[in-house]
Amino acid sequence: MKIVSEVLTSIEGIRIFYIIGLLIFVALFIVIFIRTMRMKNSDMEEIKNSILMDGESEEVTTSN
Amino acid sequence: MENQKFYYDNKIVKLFILATLVWGVVGILVGVIAALQLAFPIFNFGLEYTTFGRLRPVHTNAIIFAFVGNAIFAGVYYSMQKLLKTRMFSDALSKFHFWGWQTIIVLAAVTLLAGFTTGKEYAELEWPIDILITLVWVAFGWNMIGTIIVRRVQHIYAAIWWYLATFLGVAILHVVNSFELPISLFKSYSIYAGAQDAVVQWWYGHNAVAFFLTTPFLGLMYYYLPKAANRPIYSYKLSIIHFWSLIFLYMWAGPHHLLYQALPEWAQALGVTFSIMLIAPSWGGMINGLLTLRGAWDRVRDSAALKFLVVGVTAYGMSTFEGPMMSLKTVNQITHFTDWTIAHVHIGGMGWNGGIIFGMLYWLVPKLFKSKLFSEKLANIHFWISTLAILVYAIPLYWAAVTQWLMWREYTPEGFLAYPNFLETLTQIVPMYAVRVVAGVLFLAGFLIMVFNLAKTMAAGSFVNNEASEAPALVPAGSRNPVRETIHRWLERKAVRFSILTFIALSIGGAVEIIPMIFIKSNVPTLDSVTPYTPLELEGRDLYVKEGCYVCHSQMVRPFRWETDRYGEYSKIGEFVYDHPYQWGSRRTGPDLARAGVVGGPMYKNAAWHYNHFMDPQKMNEASIMPNYAWLAVKNIDLSQTPKKIRAMQKLGVPYEEGYDKKAVDDLLAQAQGISDDLKASGIEIDPKKQMVAMIAYMHKLGRDISTGTEVPADTIQTASTEFKEVQLLNNPEDLAAGKQLFQNTCVACHGADGKGIATFPNLTDEEWIHGNTPGAVFHQISEGNVAKGMVPYKTMFTEKQITQLTSYVLITLQDENSK
Repeated sequence: MKIVSEVLTSIEGIRIFYIIGLLIFVALFIVIFIRTMRMKNSDMEEIKNSILMDGESEEVTTSN
Repeated sequence: MENQKFYYDNKIVKLFILATLVWGVVGILVGVIAALQLAFPIFNFGLEYTTFGRLRPVHTNAIIFAFVGNAIFAGVYYSMQKLLKTRMFSDALSKFHFWGWQTIIVLAAVTLLAGFTTGKEYAELEWPIDILITLVWVAFGWNMIGTIIVRRVQHIYAAIWWYLATFLGVAILHVVNSFELPISLFKSYSIYAGAQDAVVQWWYGHNAVAFFLTTPFLGLMYYYLPKAANRPIYSYKLSIIHFWSLIFLYMWAGPHHLLYQALPEWAQALGVTFSIMLIAPSWGGMINGLLTLRGAWDRVRDSAALKFLVVGVTAYGMSTFEGPMMSLKTVNQITHFTDWTIAHVHIGGMGWNGGIIFGMLYWLVPKLFKSKLFSEKLANIHFWISTLAILVYAIPLYWAAVTQWLMWREYTPEGFLAYPNFLETLTQIVPMYAVRVVAGVLFLAGFLIMVFNLAKTMAAGSFVNNEASEAPALVPAGSRNPVRETIHRWLERKAVRFSILTFIALSIGGAVEIIPMIFIKSNVPTLDSVTPYTPLELEGRDLYVKEGCYVCHSQMVRPFRWETDRYGEYSKIGEFVYDHPYQWGSRRTGPDLARAGVVGGPMYKNAAWHYNHFMDPQKMNEASIMPNYAWLAVKNIDLSQTPKKIRAMQKLGVPYEEGYDKKAVDDLLAQAQGISDDLKASGIEIDPKKQMVAMIAYMHKLGRDISTGTEVPADTIQTASTEFKEVQLLNNPEDLAAGKQLFQNTCVACHGADGKGIATFPNLTDEEWIHGNTPGAVFHQISEGNVAKGMVPYKTMFTEKQITQLTSYVLITLQDENSK
């Protein structure tokens, strides 16, 4: 951890690390959000219903 | 493709269900007893093993790790096998997991009652049990990942993402927070000190809520709610977004438990920011759960299992909105150290965790035993009783929290605290504690009804340990086709990659908080005046930890006028650099003790007062709810451990001189002799080696190093002033009644309700007055106090008129009553 103590020698300016961290999170969140929302609904229905298609559930009622 | 035959392991699920039911009864029963202790201290039974300080951690550990833990494992083992269409990876690991976990629970109960504790909330277990937890947890994870690897389905369903996050999250938290230096089989010191220990502990504590009480339950929700409602989850897209957001954000929020406390502002700001952000993914989960029932609410009417699941998800939504609100600094000053937090966690525990567990059991047990639930009516009775119990529990405690907070900060028009005696603010809310007992009994009654109902269901059904099934073998899907498969869908069939990404998402939050706290020295400015604990003080501190005093007493004065007026100077980060572990506490059932050693401060009490108070708190004030600690005057300090403790502290960086361990016992005995002599002067004979002496030494260390200006030598004996102010006694009934009220609120602690004195504290009704009994002399004595004897100068708390009323009550009413 010496590298950490050498890079972070002072509390001064520490906020920049958190601002960068937040920006990375927000950017990733937007990318994941957009990509997820663009997934096909028909694929989603198949995945959602898969746990009910185990031969043990009653007749499945879909959400649509 | 040809189907493969295999057998589900139902026996391990049944074992975990039975353990859930047994430990649920135990955990709730202990909770009811703990609640009784706060309303009626006689239920501490006068035994060292049954005080609230020891019983409360047993309750929290029994509920979290025994009841909830076993329920999680039951739910995970059943749903994983079904979702992955395979038997658990290893029967041996399953068995080791089950019996290992039950062993941990029994060891936890025994050691906590015996006083073996690290003193860190929700992580109280000592190092050998910590190691056992690590081994059992690894077995659980190994079994889980092995099962994922040998699965017969292509993609890993959302519920299992949450189980993976649970395994990884708890593993990280437990290992990092449990770094401790053992000095014996039953005693260790946290390697972190003070503020660093606090940050690590609440990073753990907050995320124990996240990764033991939230993520596994979201996994259970994603499986059991659709199964019980026979409808698919509302939105798979939402499940992806809220999974990654939630596991990433949760790890940052821990410092919201330490607002206004001795922690760098940047850490507090991070905790607040990420707590507010957490509302979004949390509500994403709640919405996904509730909307799963869209168009199927009629089924909720007919099914107790669904009713419980709905209450569970609703309570989750309420708790995850309330939590971030409590993280706002202005709200936090009300909720922290009051019963608000207790109410909050019980909405989560009884509502969210309880609701999901009960719903799951009512659905799962008939399924496992191939039977119908014995009585839907009894299940509905359980539902209404437990829902009522949650309300009866939470409402009085919210009321108690606001009441006590308002009383703490209430000032008189003259600028004095309206309720300077902490006990007044507690007495006011004790009736709420009595109501809480009713809530606990209701919840327990409902639980017992469920146990009966499920037992009858089990008895009526038929159970097979190994349930036959068949499914086609898994065919590797090969590399990703970018057109047909999204990245996340691809990731869902790549268990190792998925786990690594989850681990990274979990690690970031903890790393950015803990690493700077430990490695940037300027985070913890040291104070030259703060010295290490003497050997006797260190022994006393260990007793403080052992007795669980931190459960009721904080050691953290926040920078509010209403706290500094009541307790003394606000706490600084540099005060705690030798505290392994930190003892800031999280609830004030008793007053803050951070300034108990500041002679002349409002919290100082002399050795004789502490002795009498530990021996019988109710004798000092009959309204006190503190248990007695009379065994401290009987049991000896274990001097054989003292040198080891000094060496351990040296290893942790406490600057004792080289070779100090060899003379530590001599120093301890010398200091103890001084306290023993002091007590003897007050008519109390006690061997210097008794634990009581060490505890008093520790009390007198608290805050002493940083006290400024007010310090008065403890051996100062105040002499009567020759010139007193002219005081005219007030003999009308209103003034005497006001004087009586002040006396009952404040003076009874030393002089008794009848004014005849307690133990060595003076009788105010006889003819013997050390400093004279003229109105002026008594007024002066009350006004200036006698700091060496622990009597504070009441001119800092009362107006001149109030002191005159008090003088009048003492010299007119008490003297009159005595002469009759």
